[in-house]
Amino acid sequence: MQIIFERSGGIMGLKSSLTLDLNELPLDQAGTLRRLLDEANFFSLTENPPTRPTPDGFQYTLTVVTDTISHTVRTSDTTAPDELHPLLHELSQRARTQGRLKA
Amino acid sequence: MHTHHSVFCITPPHMLQEIVRNGSSTQRDLALRTLITSEQMRGQRRAIKSVAAFMGTAITAGDKQRSVYDAKNDSQLPGTLVRNEGDPASTDPAVNEAYDGSGVTYDLYYDIFGRNSIDNKGLKLESTVHYQKGYDNAFWDGKQMVYGDGDEDLPPADRLFNRFTIALDIIGHELTHGVTQHEANLAYWDQSGALNESLSDVFGSLVKQYQRKQTASEADWVIGEGLFTSNVNGVGIRTMKAPGTAYNDPVLGKDPQPGHMKDYVRTIEDNGGVHINSGIPNHAFYITALELGGNAWEKAGRIWYKTLTDKLQERSTFQQACDLTYEAASELFGANSLEQQAVKKGWSEVGITVGGDAPTGCLSAILGVFGISARAEK
Repeated sequence: MQIIFERSGGIMGLKSSLTLDLNELPLDQAGTLRRLLDEANFFSLTENPPTRPTPDGFQYTLTVVTDTISHTVRTSDTTAPDELHPLLHELSQRARTQGRLKA
Repeated sequence: MHTHHSVFCITPPHMLQEIVRNGSSTQRDLALRTLITSEQMRGQRRAIKSVAAFMGTAITAGDKQRSVYDAKNDSQLPGTLVRNEGDPASTDPAVNEAYDGSGVTYDLYYDIFGRNSIDNKGLKLESTVHYQKGYDNAFWDGKQMVYGDGDEDLPPADRLFNRFTIALDIIGHELTHGVTQHEANLAYWDQSGALNESLSDVFGSLVKQYQRKQTASEADWVIGEGLFTSNVNGVGIRTMKAPGTAYNDPVLGKDPQPGHMKDYVRTIEDNGGVHINSGIPNHAFYITALELGGNAWEKAGRIWYKTLTDKLQERSTFQQACDLTYEAASELFGANSLEQQAVKKGWSEVGITVGGDAPTGCLSAILGVFGISARAEK
């Protein structure tokens, strides 16, 4: 399972991105991500970006690819369902520490 | 939008008060409005209130109403109310910064531009602090200001950001997004979005300068001073004085802002680079303010405020902002006044000529591929 995450916008206008292959992660970390995906009910989420951009708000694009399915959700802080926030937070933090920030 | 009654602009406040007392009803309305909006009345709120009391008018101008909420690291807005207008200070610095910062911002808008809050009708200023966990951002959600704590959930050695209320100009920046929404309502993408961003930086910076009582030459023109931890090689998130030089850091990269049209960044990221190309109008304001000297809010600020409230529209371009600030300077200070010349110089130094045809945003890049040059819509 692959997770492709991108966060853009924000008051600095920086993009951070991250690609994770769960098969290559330590078991406990992969387990955490699988649990967060389950709790967010990710594969049944529809896209819910704001109708107009929120000034300085982040926009998130999250794609999960498995052997059988690829699902993408584009969302924002103000429109993401509550259950998705822990996953967005986990991936944002990983992107900050492992990924790359760029304009 | 404001109506400008030039006849009252040069009338001393005491005469206006006489008109309020003794004039016809139309004269009273005009004079009262001018008293409220005139910069001549700055610092004289008590006088306004006494006039209002005399008139028996329910005027709440100058009465700011602030509420600060705590999201308690959750994403529900607005969260739990923790400090209302007039409440004593909290033990939580983020709460007090949001409260005091929105107060200073209100004061600049009211004292200098005669504006009563975000909507000019006394709208309550609502702020939420401690939004989410490790939230390295602040935003305006269309109704209120929202602040994260930075990356407080990382080990100290990895932290890049402090809490976002720490910088007064960030508070002024977010609140100004609300003002823009109620005025020009600049669309948040491409050049209109970069103008939206720039206006937030301009008035955010003026709030900081106003609080510090700094002149244009004394001010540092840095946006978000104090926001970075000592782990970051940078002075703030942007600089209006020298766009592109605010930070240069192994993790954050280099400040991507251009300060001239020749370096305009064509991108689809960040709503078409709204936080990137804002460096161009930011620098035009800085040059104008420096050229005029004194406190930047006195002249350059008034020109930009009039342009924001009376002239700019939803899809305005950089070229239009240039032409409209030039027009506003003429209306406020006279044709060919020093002020108008300073505006011309400000834009000229970023590569935009009054009455010229500076290229617009992304569209110009697409057309450029076909050898067609896009021009600013008139």
